[in-house]
Amino acid sequence: MGAASLMTALEVAEIGARTVEFFSFKYAFVARALAASIMVGGLCGAVGTFLVLRRLSLMGDAAGHSTLPGICVAFLLAGSVSTLPIMAGALVSALLAAIVVGVISRGPRSRSDAAIGIVLSVFFGIGIVLLSHIQRVATTSYAGLDAMLLGNVAGISPEQLTALAVVTVVLGGATLLFLRPLSISTFDPSFAASVGIPVRAIHYALLGALSLSVVVSVQAVGVVLVSAMLIIPGASAVYWFKRMPGVLGTAVGLGALSGALGAWVSYIFEGVSTGPAMVLVATTFFLCSLGFGPRGGLLWRAVRRRERQRALVARADASTSASAYVEAGGGL
Amino acid sequence: MWELFVEPWTMGAWMWRGTLAATLAAIPCALLGVFLYLRRMSLIADALTHVALPGIVAAFLLSGSVEPFTMLVGAAIVGVLASGAIEALADKGGVRSDAAIGIVFTAFFSIGVIALSVGVHDAHIDTACVLFGDVLGISNDSLILLGITAPVVCALVALFYRWLALVSFDKGLAANLGVPVALVHYGLMGAVSVTSVASFEAIGAILAIAMIVVPAATAHILCDRLPWMLVVACLHGVVSAVAGMYIAVWADVSAAGSIVCVGGALYGLAFLIAPRHGVLVRWWRKRSMDRPALPATSAPVVKGRIEPQPEVS
Repeated sequence: MGAASLMTALEVAEIGARTVEFFSFKYAFVARALAASIMVGGLCGAVGTFLVLRRLSLMGDAAGHSTLPGICVAFLLAGSVSTLPIMAGALVSALLAAIVVGVISRGPRSRSDAAIGIVLSVFFGIGIVLLSHIQRVATTSYAGLDAMLLGNVAGISPEQLTALAVVTVVLGGATLLFLRPLSISTFDPSFAASVGIPVRAIHYALLGALSLSVVVSVQAVGVVLVSAMLIIPGASAVYWFKRMPGVLGTAVGLGALSGALGAWVSYIFEGVSTGPAMVLVATTFFLCSLGFGPRGGLLWRAVRRRERQRALVARADASTSASAYVEAGGGL
Repeated sequence: MWELFVEPWTMGAWMWRGTLAATLAAIPCALLGVFLYLRRMSLIADALTHVALPGIVAAFLLSGSVEPFTMLVGAAIVGVLASGAIEALADKGGVRSDAAIGIVFTAFFSIGVIALSVGVHDAHIDTACVLFGDVLGISNDSLILLGITAPVVCALVALFYRWLALVSFDKGLAANLGVPVALVHYGLMGAVSVTSVASFEAIGAILAIAMIVVPAATAHILCDRLPWMLVVACLHGVVSAVAGMYIAVWADVSAAGSIVCVGGALYGLAFLIAPRHGVLVRWWRKRSMDRPALPATSAPVVKGRIEPQPEVS
C-alpha cells in the first residue's frame, strides 16, 4: 500500500516535471510541437465548421486518407522525406480524391456516401501498397513516413511549421474576409445563388482549403485521424452559439485547446501518438458541449422540457374543467 | 508465363492460406456490404471496422488472452455500442448523421490506438498488423475464425434474406408487415462487426471498408436485381482477393493493399464500361442517338443536309 502510493507520488512528480518542461519552451522542438498543435487545431476547427454545417464531414475523412499515396509517390520521386515535395504530393492526391468523389457521385447509380467510402479506401489501399514497397526498397530513411499514419507532432520540421503557419494565416484571413458569403452559401445555397454569390466556386474553394489544411496537419495528427480534428470542434461549437462568428470562434478555440492539450498528453505519456491524444481531448470537449451546451445541449433541453410540462400542469390545474386539461396537452 | 501463375502456389502453404483467408473475408464482407450500400449506410461500415480495434484491445486487456472468440465477442459488443452511439447522437443529440459517424468512430479508434500503445505489450497484437493485416502470415486461430464466421454469416444472410431485402428497400412497409426492423438493423451491425474482427488479420481495420463498399458499388452498376447483385458482389470480392494475392507476391507489396487496389480497379472498369450504366457506354449511346442512325420515313434534314433514304426491307 505504502509502496504503491509512493509510486504514484513519484509518477505525479514525474508528470509535473514533464509538464513544466513541455510548457517552458526550454527545447526548440517542444516549442515547435506546441505551436504546431495549436495551429493545426485552430485551422482544422475553422475549416471543419463549414464542412460539418454543409454535411461534408466525411469528405475530411476521405481527404485525410487519400493523402497517403501522394506522400509515398513524392517520397519515391524525391528520394527523401523533405518537406516540400511530400506536401505537394499530398496536396495533389487530396485534390484528386475530391475530384474523384465528385465524379463518382455524379456517375451512374452512385450514392455519395459510397463514393466517399470507395475513394477513401482505394486511395488508402494504393498508399499502403506504395508504403510497403518503400519499406522494402528504400535506401534512404523513410522514418518520417510511418509517423504520417498516426501523427507525431514532435517530429515536425521547421519547414513544415512554416508551411503550416502560412496556410493558417492565409486560410484564416480568407475565412474572415469572406465570412458573409461563406455563411450565406452554407445555410441557404439557393438564396446565396439568387443574390449572386458564386456558390459552386465557394464549394470548390472549400474543398481546396480542406485539402490544404489536411496536408499541413498530417504530420501532427496523422492521415487516419485528421478527420476527427476537422469534425469534432465544429460539431461541439454549435452547442454554444447560434450565430456563425460565435460558432467559428468556439470551434477554433476548442480545436486549438485540444491540439495543445493533446500534444501535452502525448508528451507526458510515452508511446502515445499525438493524433489519438488530440482526438480524445477534443471528444471530451464534445461530450461536455453535448451535455451542457446552452443551444441544444441535453441538460438544458431536459430543463426546458420540465419547465414546459410544469407550465402545462399549472395551466390545467388553474382551469377547473377536465376538458381544458386534456386540450392543454393531457397527461403529466 | 504459366509458371508465373502456378509458382506462388508451390512456394509454400502461405499462399494457399493467405488466399483462403482473403476469400473467406471477402465473401461475407461483400454480402453484408450490399445491404449496407442499399440502405445508404456504407460509412457506418467504415465506423464499425475502425471500432473493431478498441473492441479487440478491450477484450484482450480484460481477459488477458489473444483467444480469438473473446475478441470476437468484445468487438461485437463495442460495435453494437458504437452504432447505438451514432444513432443516439443523430436522433437525440441533434448532431448531423455524417458528423455523428465521424465523431464516434474517431473517438473509439483513438481509444483503441492509445490502449494498444500503452496497455498492450504483446507480439500478437501490434499496431501495424492490426491496422493493415498480415494475410501472408495469417495464424491458425484467425483462419479457423474466418472458416467459422464466413459460413455462419452467409447462412444468416440466406436465412433472413427476405427480411433484409424488405428492410433495405422499404423500411415502412417492412415495419407494417411485422418485420422486427430494429432487430434486423442491430443484427446487421453486429454481423458487420463480427465480420470485420474475423477479417482483421486478413485485411486490417482501415482497409476492411474497401471489402464492404467497393463490391456492392460495383455490383450496383452492373445489376438491377438484388440476388444478382449479391452474386456479383461476391464474385468481385473473390476475384480481387485472388488477383490481389498474385500482385502482392509478384511485386512483393502489402497483400491487403493490393486486394483493395484490384477491387478499386474493377470498380473503375465497371464505372466506365458496364453494359447498361457505364459512363463510356452511356456517352457512346448518347452520341449514336444524337446522330440519325435510323431516320424516319420522310427524309430528315440534319444541319441543312439531306440524308439518303434508308432502304425499307
